[in-house]
Amino acid sequence: MRTVTRSFLRYLVRRRSLSLLQLMGIAFGVAASLGMAFSAMSALASFTHAIEYLQGKSTHSLERNAGPMDEAILQGLISDPSVESFSPVIDRRLRVADGSQIRILGIDPFLDTAIRPELARTSFSDDRRKGSEESLSFVLEEKAVLMEAGMAQHLNLAAGSKIWSSHGELEVIGTFPNPSGEPLLLMDIAHAQKLFNMPGLIDRVDLVLAEEQEFRNRWKTGFQIKSNRQRQETFTAMLGAFRLNLEALSLMALFVAVFLIYNTTMFAVVSRRRDAGILRSLGASRGEIILAFMTEILIFGVIGGAVGSVMGYILSRLLTEVIGGTISNLYFFLRPVPLAWSFWMPAAGVLIGCGASVLGSIFPLIELARLDPVKALYGRSVSRRGDLAAKKVAASGMLILLLSAAVFLLPSNSIYTAYGALFGVLFGLSLLTGYIVIVCSPFLTGFLTGLGGIPGKIAAGNIRRNLGRTAVAVAAFMVALSMSVGLSLMIGSFRESLLWWMDRQFQGDLYISNASEKEVPESFYLELKSMPGIAVDAYRKTQMTYRNRPMFVSSVNAPVLQRYASFAWLSGGDEHWEAVKKGDVIISESFARNFGVGAGDIITLEGMQGPARLRVEAVFYDYSTEHGLVMMDRGTYLRLFADRTINSVAVFLDPGNPRRPHILDQIRQKARQHGLPVSNREQFYGNILAIFDSTFAITRSMRFLAIIIAFFGIAGALMTLFLERKSEYGILRALGLSTGQVALMTLLEAIGMGIMSFLLSAGSGTLFAFILIRVINLRSFNWTIFFHPHLSPYLLTALTALLASFGAALYPIWMVLRTYPQMQIRDD
Amino acid sequence: MLPVLEKHATRDAGQTVTKEEPVTTPVIRVVDLWKIYGEETDGSMALRGANMEIARGKVLALLGRSGSGKTTLLNLLAGLDRPSRGYIEVEGRNLQSLGEKGRTLLRRTRIGFIFQFFNLIPTLSAFENVNLALELAGKSTPAQAFEALESVGLKGKEKRYPHELSGGEQQRVAIARAIVKAPALILADEPTGNLDTATGLQILELLSSRCRDLETSLLMVTHTSMACRFADRVLRMVDGVVIPEDDGEAREIRNEKIESGFPAEKPRHHR
Repeated sequence: MRTVTRSFLRYLVRRRSLSLLQLMGIAFGVAASLGMAFSAMSALASFTHAIEYLQGKSTHSLERNAGPMDEAILQGLISDPSVESFSPVIDRRLRVADGSQIRILGIDPFLDTAIRPELARTSFSDDRRKGSEESLSFVLEEKAVLMEAGMAQHLNLAAGSKIWSSHGELEVIGTFPNPSGEPLLLMDIAHAQKLFNMPGLIDRVDLVLAEEQEFRNRWKTGFQIKSNRQRQETFTAMLGAFRLNLEALSLMALFVAVFLIYNTTMFAVVSRRRDAGILRSLGASRGEIILAFMTEILIFGVIGGAVGSVMGYILSRLLTEVIGGTISNLYFFLRPVPLAWSFWMPAAGVLIGCGASVLGSIFPLIELARLDPVKALYGRSVSRRGDLAAKKVAASGMLILLLSAAVFLLPSNSIYTAYGALFGVLFGLSLLTGYIVIVCSPFLTGFLTGLGGIPGKIAAGNIRRNLGRTAVAVAAFMVALSMSVGLSLMIGSFRESLLWWMDRQFQGDLYISNASEKEVPESFYLELKSMPGIAVDAYRKTQMTYRNRPMFVSSVNAPVLQRYASFAWLSGGDEHWEAVKKGDVIISESFARNFGVGAGDIITLEGMQGPARLRVEAVFYDYSTEHGLVMMDRGTYLRLFADRTINSVAVFLDPGNPRRPHILDQIRQKARQHGLPVSNREQFYGNILAIFDSTFAITRSMRFLAIIIAFFGIAGALMTLFLERKSEYGILRALGLSTGQVALMTLLEAIGMGIMSFLLSAGSGTLFAFILIRVINLRSFNWTIFFHPHLSPYLLTALTALLASFGAALYPIWMVLRTYPQMQIRDD
Repeated sequence: MLPVLEKHATRDAGQTVTKEEPVTTPVIRVVDLWKIYGEETDGSMALRGANMEIARGKVLALLGRSGSGKTTLLNLLAGLDRPSRGYIEVEGRNLQSLGEKGRTLLRRTRIGFIFQFFNLIPTLSAFENVNLALELAGKSTPAQAFEALESVGLKGKEKRYPHELSGGEQQRVAIARAIVKAPALILADEPTGNLDTATGLQILELLSSRCRDLETSLLMVTHTSMACRFADRVLRMVDGVVIPEDDGEAREIRNEKIESGFPAEKPRHHR
């Protein structure tokens, strides 16, 4: 048994280049999968740590359904028997000099010691004299802040430093360690109220409750009381679809890697066929041969997995920041800290690598187990059997496709079944590849012959004859290119839908403080409103819960939008605004699908005075949030929630106004005086598109990784063909083919496989895009994306296929140039 | 076990016994063996009712042209393939009734195989190739492997890999691999087919002498008559049927070939 195993393992060293290709394929596949997993874990860990750190000893939080609340409620809390301790909090963001957003907490340093004793203890120096000075400065100086130590180090700041922020200059009086790693500033709550222009207001109160139910009964009207668990669940729910889609992306990259493993393992089986026959003739059992082969597979899995884990860790450090930015842009503030390297990472890599290797090797192992030693010994041609096998495999592929289609047609909203069916479609299509290669072989022969003459004809024949290798490489490349086409089409369609939506919904000439942490003072809004010749829409958006699930509520100036915007309604037109002006609401498509609510239905929201029943007038297309949006007139909003916060303001001017440029300049100046950023419509669209593009940065990186993995597949197949046919090269040389012709033949084999892969991916990628748009996106995010096919993804993918094929052929061509002139007709 | 008279098994009723000598159960006994590929009615018949016996310690040469069914017969005798009809007994045991495990065990311990194209494992050295046979037989003693290589004239070349050996040397390693486990029978499929005449003669000499020394039966399949001079008996495979070389039918066939211009074969050497 030991010698049997040794005989197999030595091939790994003999065929170093092929072994390396296989290792790299596994490593990249594991890297893609783990990179995504580590980034998601670091985001989750960061947000869990941040929440736990910020929660401290609190058990609950008390806040308004919308907007800040009057600090007068603290009087009520002092005397509430259920409250053991409490701490009022202002929780805001501001931007620092390097452009990044950070969280700033306004706290009462005395009350907060009961809630966050760690923070209080470490916030001030151990040096008692210095600590007292810091405490006094913290309370007395308006601009004094304490800075989280990691952030201070990053910005090269120490006690006494000044820091620029979007809310003015601040003074760092000390630093504190933050185990969660989240960049954080602390400020005295009174100074924070001034900084954020919210006199007498607080965002929430963190509580330690001795008893919950009675407290809820007393405070239920007009307030949200959340336990820490509920708060965490809300945040987790908001990330649900985002995380699922990230995981699906990484699985797709791993899927391609498994194909690659199948490809190279199948080659190994084929190249060991004769050895296996010899061993069987000497008395080795099937089990011994399979076990020897499994050892080889697991070695690849272990080494590839370990290398992949290191690559995945490096990738995760890059992706973590991207994910954090996306989450902050789309959901809630988060600055995740990359995970620290740990022993379980290579262990996870090895597990995934071995799992992928075993999965990719199942069919080759079955073939090895069924090996006929006589045929293996005497090398009987399997080309006819190969065609039959290709047809049988294609039939299985068709069956899987039909089953997957049936799953899609089931009346279900489950995203998991949708992804399962999507993988089924990809797998089914890849099983059809062999048969499609057979059918397209005459055309390929004609094309390659036209391209390269006799070498082209031989190349086409080689692709056809060696289906066991070429079909799998083509399938793997097709899957990767399909992902590229499909994701490009989906992103492009989404972008077009977004542009269409923005063009309908956002018709303002100027947007003040949009996509900014700065709120618009109501006084400034009223000042703008009073200016002649302009209309102003005050926009407020806040997160609430409906049926215990997160959603958003926004307020707008209905009369202004009725006049100036052209909303994208699912049905009907701008006549819906009449009902909105009277107190009805409109809901986004996502809200409608999420909660099964439609026009004419009644929804109940918790307002200041208790539950408020609101009639839904209409449904509109919206891409601002997948959790759903309820939009109402500002008057209705103020009546329900008494929240006068304005997140941003849109200014509309009549196009024919002769003083238009002057008025716009005037408004810009006024906004700058208030320190508010201003964008025109194009800039506003640009900001939204920038967020959109950054959101898909991860998708693009996964697409790129999948291409790399498939590239190794093509390269592996070419190396395989070269190594397998070395004995034939002696014959070609004897027949008179030159080195250049054989090198051309190798190149044309690569190009032939690349062309087949691209042509197949054009069709499968389009189908993939359609499924992503009509099923996956719909079920994940509950919004409709309109399919906008365009040429650029196909052109880009064709170029990728060509370059990858060319690149994959380089090493085999080099081997040909190096060894062909010495090749003779001999048995291997 | 009662001694039985050695016979030449033929399809005819009459039997010719060249001499009477006390014999044990034959190592191999083949009775009415058929091998048909595809459907019985229109498939290709590689063997059509072959019958033969191989006595212990005897060397048999099986002549026949390409496609006559010689290799098919070898594969069936080794248990690598299954007959369509008929049966094979190896040392008195029905091969089919042994099952896959039993046949594997037989190949490990009682049967050695030598191929035309050597079929050494390319990633193993000469020593490792020979030791592999011992390891599979459960008798791994490195000294035995070294001795086997020495006995075939390859002392000092134990560490060389197949691609570092000439054709003749590779075949010597294959012989060492076959004989090292002291099998009851060695099946040699065209052992000199890939060698020049001089080397081929050396190999045949070595193979036959080692088998006689170990009292191992040897069945050599070949399409050249060079091997006949080393054989105790010569059989001929004609269209799937085994015929003794001095059978009238075989003579008739040989004459037909001479008349049609087929090169005449050398007379068979009788021992």
